[in-house]
Amino acid sequence: MIAIISSTFKEVIRKKTFIVMGIITILFIIFWAVILNYFQDAHLSEKNVTFNSLASIVLTQTVLQFSSMLMCLITIVLGAGAIASELENGMIHAILSRPLDRMEYIFGKLFGLSILIAAYATALFTTILLIGRIYSLDTITMLTFDQVFEGWIFYTLVPLILLSLTICGSIRLKMISNGLLMIFIYILGNIGGMVEMIGNYLNNKAMDSSGIFLSLISPFHTLYTTAEGILLPSSGLTGEVMRVTGGLTGRGQPASSVMFIYIIIYTLGFIALAISKFRKIDINS
Amino acid sequence: MIIETENLTKVYPNKVAVNSVNLSVEKGQIYGFLGPNGAGKSTCIKMLIGLVLPTSGKGQILGRPLGDVRARMKLGYLPELFRFQEWMTGEDLLDFHTRLYRLKPDKERNTRVLSRVGLLGQEKYRVGGYSKGMQQRIGLACALLCDPELLFLDEPTSALDPIGRKDVRNIILALQKEGTTIFLNSHLLSEVETVCDHVTIINKGIVVKSGAMNELLMENLTLHINCDMLSDQIILLLKQKFDSELKPQQENGNLCITLKKKDQISEIASLLITKGIKLNELKPHYQTLESVFLKVIGEESGE
Repeated sequence: MIAIISSTFKEVIRKKTFIVMGIITILFIIFWAVILNYFQDAHLSEKNVTFNSLASIVLTQTVLQFSSMLMCLITIVLGAGAIASELENGMIHAILSRPLDRMEYIFGKLFGLSILIAAYATALFTTILLIGRIYSLDTITMLTFDQVFEGWIFYTLVPLILLSLTICGSIRLKMISNGLLMIFIYILGNIGGMVEMIGNYLNNKAMDSSGIFLSLISPFHTLYTTAEGILLPSSGLTGEVMRVTGGLTGRGQPASSVMFIYIIIYTLGFIALAISKFRKIDINS
Repeated sequence: MIIETENLTKVYPNKVAVNSVNLSVEKGQIYGFLGPNGAGKSTCIKMLIGLVLPTSGKGQILGRPLGDVRARMKLGYLPELFRFQEWMTGEDLLDFHTRLYRLKPDKERNTRVLSRVGLLGQEKYRVGGYSKGMQQRIGLACALLCDPELLFLDEPTSALDPIGRKDVRNIILALQKEGTTIFLNSHLLSEVETVCDHVTIINKGIVVKSGAMNELLMENLTLHINCDMLSDQIILLLKQKFDSELKPQQENGNLCITLKKKDQISEIASLLITKGIKLNELKPHYQTLESVFLKVIGEESGE
């Protein structure tokens, strides 16, 4: 399994995917720094204290949501073909004819990509917070260590859970089909968040339930909302702003304890399904 | 037996790929596995290795049931579709496969296998930059890392030039001397004829012919004789003892007899000499593997 973990890791780093990932991330970070620079140059704090606070929240929320989306897209790009491409091009023949259990192969791919994605998420999260701190953004300077730590955990879990689903899809579907399906499922979660937010706002139970149902299919947004809830607590004026703005993808409810249990079952279920399916398929391409 | 299968069958929704195949491969053999395209050869090999799951039937390989991961510790396989991680260097690829074999990376071992396949000095380059022939050679090097007891070669020379083919043939023969059993699938019948001890021909998923190479080639052995004109009595004797469908001798003294065994050549020679016939020429014509193959497949196809 170590051989697969290490080769998965090296493959991403040595292939162009890593360079593309790096360029997109650097552009995103530059974009974040430039916005904060303009924000600081505007000297809003001297003109309107209330607006400064609101703008800080909106900015932080937007950048976190956008970075989470970027992370999830990169996860889909890396995971969609992780197994499918090796099945399609026949590379897997030489690998699975060695003394390697198919379960080890799946875990090798999963762990290799998980380490990489977790490292990427951590680096992105840290950079966002560091830049925010350099520009003395209220929402970031006020964060406690516990908030940062908990927020980081949930923020990183979002792409990792998406990876378990993507790897499962990679066994049965071709790389492009799997990638498109995963993007659809991911967006579904964001729509669910939006529907839930509107339902909440209008006190419409049917809409609320629809949002929850979509979140069951795609719980990624719920998990992200939990991370956001920790980093940008909904209280007083802040809460009011967040309720109204909703950010890029709407703001559903943070995950309840039951939802957490569901997400654990969801993740382990897809990993188990991937192993079970992979053990039964004929490597005959 | 190194490989033994009993009624090994693979059925896909639209076709029967392999139908009740029974194989017995002895230790140290070079076993040729032949068949036309789509006959089920690769599916059969993949079932033996554990890449394809049999629909029914059973078998064992290196003393373990089919699909047992432990059997693969001493099993080498060069796939027909030899695609490797193009971003790796030759050395990386060898180290990767060494780890897959659960062995510790060893430079000396790498040097040994690279030298054997004629790639020593090329290991620092990326596999993506290798020619097809070099990729096939590095694939063979990977398969040799575990000092295999059993080596599956699925079209091992498809991308090689004549010199490369000769090299692989020599490697196969050297490995046999070291005690390795080789299961060879190749369309190059002359190559198979040169190296294999035993051949199995499969068509439409069914074994249509199997036997020791020399026995297969001896089947329908024809003996061309040029001698004094034979009397009707001797012709009758030859018909009764050797070939019931013997055609009359030609005016130039030529006669062609189909034999069942190689030993019958000396029997005929003795018989003619004791009858006082002057023998000018006695020339046996063995079948080639190609003619056996074409005959068997032709019969199967009703041609």
